[in-house]
Amino acid sequence: MIRRNRKFTLLILFLWILPVTAALAGARHFTFLYEAPTSAPGSIELENWITWERATNSEQADQIGFRHEIEIGVTDHFQASIYFVDWSYARDRTQSSFSYSDSAIELIYNLTNPVIDPVGLSIYGEIKGGRQHLELESKLIAQKNFGPLILDYNLTLGAEWEEQGLQEHQGELQQALGASYELSPRISVGLEFLHEFVFPDWRDEEKIRNVFVGPNIAFRHQSWFVTVSALAQATNTPGEADFKVRTIFGFGF
Amino acid sequence: MKKLSTLLVLLACLMACESVNYVPVATPQMAAATKGQRVDVETLREGRTLLVHRCIECHTLPPLRHYAVEDWPNIVNSMAHRASLKPAERDAIVAYIIAVRSTGQ
Repeated sequence: MIRRNRKFTLLILFLWILPVTAALAGARHFTFLYEAPTSAPGSIELENWITWERATNSEQADQIGFRHEIEIGVTDHFQASIYFVDWSYARDRTQSSFSYSDSAIELIYNLTNPVIDPVGLSIYGEIKGGRQHLELESKLIAQKNFGPLILDYNLTLGAEWEEQGLQEHQGELQQALGASYELSPRISVGLEFLHEFVFPDWRDEEKIRNVFVGPNIAFRHQSWFVTVSALAQATNTPGEADFKVRTIFGFGF
Repeated sequence: MKKLSTLLVLLACLMACESVNYVPVATPQMAAATKGQRVDVETLREGRTLLVHRCIECHTLPPLRHYAVEDWPNIVNSMAHRASLKPAERDAIVAYIIAVRSTGQ
């Protein structure tokens, strides 16, 4: 137990110290949406995600998910990312546990620019694998910048296989809409809206629809940024999170 | 009718915002307008391309007339490392901004 705590303390220290040594970063205006512009060629950035979800409408349960991602700009229009590890801490009335979930590779190709073209478009592909878990995800990212206002739309199609022998499977279609207004070059505020359709066993018999909506705020300075979104469920799906709070902080090398 | 009016007002607001995005295409006239600097149109085109790709990774583009011409080199320089700009690329962006300002846009 002491050993585990020591490792955890070292990880926290590492995450606190790294920003001081870093020197470059892009910035996110949203946490549940991706933006069309890709990273500059040659840039390397470390992003850390923390997502807290609480469900109360079946039994109260909390989950805090962590992701550690490195993002590499390959060309002016292409970026690659590696999710080293997705892991989580879950707690309900009877137990709590840490667990490793998966690791992933993500590729984004930018097709058009959100400033000079009618709409900025990018395509996204991700393959994620872990213990008894395989997931494929693709996205179409559309963005338009109107002066200090950014409008962003993501259409996501995902397929997931889980459990022993990857026998359980489900599909998910998600559309997400975001707006962010830049109050100053360092601070933006906005809204994010998610609309999910879940298809257990590739079927739509259960008609699972989830809607989440909430505000976000982003702050960036020199080599780092931090963006926070807090979304509440606008539907009433049993077992689904009542709210999700996601923080992404990133810094570059 | 009320919804249509709201939509039209919203569209008008967005179009007004769009005008501050204006980053004109580089032209030989623009290159010629940069008095005292030997800048060719190719450099201006590169500067425009870099401006609309690299800068928006972190922030939206401000109206170019928002800052004084003499301030732009320092502004771009302060963020050059963050945007992975090489010195020639940084100079191309500054040249493009100065050229746009020289043509009164």
